[in-house]
Amino acid sequence: MLTLTSPVETPLHRLPAGAKLAALAAFTVVLFWLKSPVALALALGGVVALHVPWGAAFTTHAARMLRPLWPFVAVVAAWHLWIGEAAAGAAVILRMVTAVAAANLVTMTTRLSDMITVLERLAAPLAPLLPPRRLALAFALVIRFIPTLAARMVQITEAWRARSPRRPGWRVLVPATLAALDDADQAAEALRARGGAE
Amino acid sequence: MERSLTHIALFAALVAILGLVPQITLATGVPITAQSLGIMLCGTVLGARRGALAVLLFLALVATGLPLLSGGRGGLGVFVGPTVGFLIGFPIAAFVIGWLMERTTLPVGLAAGAASAIGGIAVLYLFGIAGMSVMLDKTPAEAAMLTGAFLPGDALKVVLAGFVTQAIARMRPGALLSRA
Amino acid sequence: MTGTPPSPFAPHPAAPPDGGIRLETGPVMLGGKTILHPLRLDLTERRIGIVGRNGSGKTTLLRLIAGLIAPASGQVLIDGIAPYTDRKAALTRIGILFQNPDHQILFPTVEEELAFGLRQQGLAQAQAIAAAQTALAAEGRAHWAKAPVSTLSGGQRHYLCLLAVLLMQPGTILLDEPFAGLDLPTIARLSRRLAALPQRLITISHDPAAVGTSDRVIWLEAGRVRQDGPPATVLPAFIAEMARIGEADADTDLAG
Repeated sequence: MLTLTSPVETPLHRLPAGAKLAALAAFTVVLFWLKSPVALALALGGVVALHVPWGAAFTTHAARMLRPLWPFVAVVAAWHLWIGEAAAGAAVILRMVTAVAAANLVTMTTRLSDMITVLERLAAPLAPLLPPRRLALAFALVIRFIPTLAARMVQITEAWRARSPRRPGWRVLVPATLAALDDADQAAEALRARGGAE
Repeated sequence: MERSLTHIALFAALVAILGLVPQITLATGVPITAQSLGIMLCGTVLGARRGALAVLLFLALVATGLPLLSGGRGGLGVFVGPTVGFLIGFPIAAFVIGWLMERTTLPVGLAAGAASAIGGIAVLYLFGIAGMSVMLDKTPAEAAMLTGAFLPGDALKVVLAGFVTQAIARMRPGALLSRA
Repeated sequence: MTGTPPSPFAPHPAAPPDGGIRLETGPVMLGGKTILHPLRLDLTERRIGIVGRNGSGKTTLLRLIAGLIAPASGQVLIDGIAPYTDRKAALTRIGILFQNPDHQILFPTVEEELAFGLRQQGLAQAQAIAAAQTALAAEGRAHWAKAPVSTLSGGQRHYLCLLAVLLMQPGTILLDEPFAGLDLPTIARLSRRLAALPQRLITISHDPAAVGTSDRVIWLEAGRVRQDGPPATVLPAFIAEMARIGEADADTDLAG
């Protein structure tokens, strides 16, 4: 399955996932505490410096992941220029971009399996409520069934178009939801056939 | 036990693919995906507890780095971005929708639509607007204006959530766990 | 459990002969309709076929034996244990190969799918993965281990499901239409593989050819046993009846 982990191997990939997450959490707290645009710009510079040595492909990939932020950057910039508080606007934009870029950097340099392991470790105190194996099973089931449901969605669309000149639009939602319900019942039975959920 | 777990997992998968597959562009030019409709269906079909757990499972997989949010977004970045309030609101919205679904005696379609309007718009926007106001350092009123662009799309999804839930109740009467 | 990973080929103590399977069940109802009438069956042969038309109750019978559904009254016993209530003991006695592999596969990769059943039987994750890899290597398919299940063909998924069941070494394997939707070379390979298994096999099918070499064939009709005996007597009668119904074009009744 496609993940956001970068295929470009960097030294950051080799750091333990838990350490990266702890550093990210601390960094994010500091960002929200900083008010000066200059300090925030320095922080952004630091995050950029952690991208550049790993090559242009890695850095462009990271830049692309920031694309959903641009509308917000534009709106905030326009608003603050209009009310004449450019410095405050710059701080908001720099903080947002830096926080998201730093978090994306951890995602890009941490394998899915390592991230899931950390998540399971974080959930360990919940063990009486949520047994770790059940959580692992739930993750595996979702990853297993996303391609199956997506393929089912394509089939439904094709079956619709085979008999209609129009696109099905929202109408695929009913059979798609039914497919999810059916798959859930069948998976429950398959699980039971092999010993059930612990 | 098994059925509960597999329903939660399959609806987490459903929310994920609804963010990827159908893209409808509204007359206003704002593209909408069915992802938040998926959140509503978690509540209307699975009920409060299972619905909220399905959404939490989905968000956990997003956090691990799978690009499952609409537009192929994912990873840790989205949890510190301006729309984080909506993500926090997602499982709460599903819970509220399921809770309402379990308690009203209205006809299924109407109940699903009303519950989705309350949970999927009122409650969700409360969190979304609060998040945006913190992240962008704006007053809640200013943040509310920013989210206004998504309102027509979400109003449409409320209606669809009602239709879809009713269709499921008719085609598979036993399937609505929220009304079981 | 010893350190040696189990091989799917090796005969093992749980293989027949054993206590056999005994059913003494009351009616099975689904949605207000009687799917199976009261049954009394002792299944001790090594190869058993169950034939019948669509809707005759074959799959419900299989699910009853596998312990996936509980008998509303009466009992199902495998080796003296009740497969619905005692799941742990049932796992070493009975495995089921679903008709559609997509209804059986639960995990995103081949090795996780294979390892799951072994973990359920008490192996640690690392041991279970190692056993799965050994089994794949024994089949000349070591390169499948990390493959996402979504990239396998239909026949390969079927094969994966069979391997997953074999790894758990149940004494009896239930096969639900094992050849449906497979191409001819795959059917040939799969039948050869099944024929060589030491386990008791219970095969359900609407196709008499799939059960022709059984020791015993049970013909179900509308939830009742219509005939029960060696294939040489049951199958000709079944084939003749199917041909008669096909001529009559009587497929217009709605269920319920």
